[in-house]
Amino acid sequence: MAGKVIVVTSGKGGVGKTTTTANIGTALAMMEKKVCLIDADIGLRNLDVVMGLENRIVYDLVDVVEGNCRLEQALIRDKRQSNLFLLPAAQTRDKTAVTPFQMKELTERLKEEMDYILVDSPAGIEQGFKNAIAGADSAIIVTTPEVSAVRDADRVIGLLETEGLKDPDVVINRLRPDMVEKGDMMDINDMIEILAINLLGVVPEDENIVISTNRGEPVVLRNGNTRAGMAFMNIARRINGEELPLMSLEKETLLNKLKRIVGLS
Amino acid sequence: MEPISFRVTSKGVYLNLNPESDYRKIKNALIRHTAEANNFFTGVDLYVNPNGRILSADEIRELIEILSRYKNIGQLYFLNQETKNRTRTMDTILINRTIRSGQRIKYPANIVVIGDINPGAEVIAGGDILVIGKLRGVVHAGAAGSNESQVIALSLQPTQLRIGNYISRSPDEKNIEEPTVPERAYVKDGVIIVEALKLW
Repeated sequence: MAGKVIVVTSGKGGVGKTTTTANIGTALAMMEKKVCLIDADIGLRNLDVVMGLENRIVYDLVDVVEGNCRLEQALIRDKRQSNLFLLPAAQTRDKTAVTPFQMKELTERLKEEMDYILVDSPAGIEQGFKNAIAGADSAIIVTTPEVSAVRDADRVIGLLETEGLKDPDVVINRLRPDMVEKGDMMDINDMIEILAINLLGVVPEDENIVISTNRGEPVVLRNGNTRAGMAFMNIARRINGEELPLMSLEKETLLNKLKRIVGLS
Repeated sequence: MEPISFRVTSKGVYLNLNPESDYRKIKNALIRHTAEANNFFTGVDLYVNPNGRILSADEIRELIEILSRYKNIGQLYFLNQETKNRTRTMDTILINRTIRSGQRIKYPANIVVIGDINPGAEVIAGGDILVIGKLRGVVHAGAAGSNESQVIALSLQPTQLRIGNYISRSPDEKNIEEPTVPERAYVKDGVIIVEALKLW
């Protein structure tokens, strides 16, 4: 099996990288794909909590690269989907515990077993970021409709280009259609115009995210009931090669367009 | 007429000493310029053109001392009457992509960007800057001190725009209309002027 390694990154913190990783990964697994999530945020791990798998951690990523355990021992099988795995980060170490070369080796090994490997990158552009992108075949940039988040996304796209990761996709997270309509929030076109990359999907602001994060249950598991869950589901289907309508087009009000993008109409 | 002027080529920067000015004025202008130049001259060769002026050994020594104050300057050359006419015309680098936040382009002559200059990006040219796209970052034309340089963009909305020793920034008010026509910025009477580009 020749899996695909996708890094989820943003530059700025708090835009929803971990939520995005957890939901896209879960959604891909729901589509019968074999998926591994890697938490590359060593020292500040979160993905295990969002996935509700914290109490199952025995070994972690650093244990694997240091040879304290075998890779299979550190992989945690998801409690809901048997084809979804998590490789958790170490909490008691820092970013220097792993090198980009080791990360590349690790993802190469996982590629043989998995369809998709999603790497949750830490915020920032330093060592942790470099580790996270080391083995990636493609990248998803998460940003929110804020000038600062878009600026950081732009910076990260430039850095990814330098590292040979061309044409990343962008997910716009936490959009509030009502605020966009009033002109109080950056609209999608403004953001895409600056970033000039492919839009993979738009996720509306949704309080269900807070609820599901606190429960350790990705929101896509409640597909059909939440707007954010539907949006993440659509993103996963696009990653898997389905052509879902997204951008387009004229003569459509922004609200209707958003409804369509998030799957309400 | 200024006591000193600069011209930028791909070889380096030419420093012209005005034959009409007296030596003291030239010297003071250079002292001021070296203090203000920051690190633009890093690695750049400087060609001094005395324009027929006969410099004494003491004056040459003094000029060398002053010019060495440019941080990390490349080689210093003094031109004589025969060599000075062989200087090549200013040339240009073409950048065929978008310059993103955190990226910095610096070139001693002209820069043409086919793409956008995004907010947070910096483009610094010894000569002119031409942007076939949206200019939203920081640009500095004539960065060696040439106030005759200009900046042209299809959509000119820089965070900050510098020409030679002059500096201007975007207005603080929000909701400024986007420019609808290509514009040109240049220095006139000590002020940076922006106007619609005239193509004839």
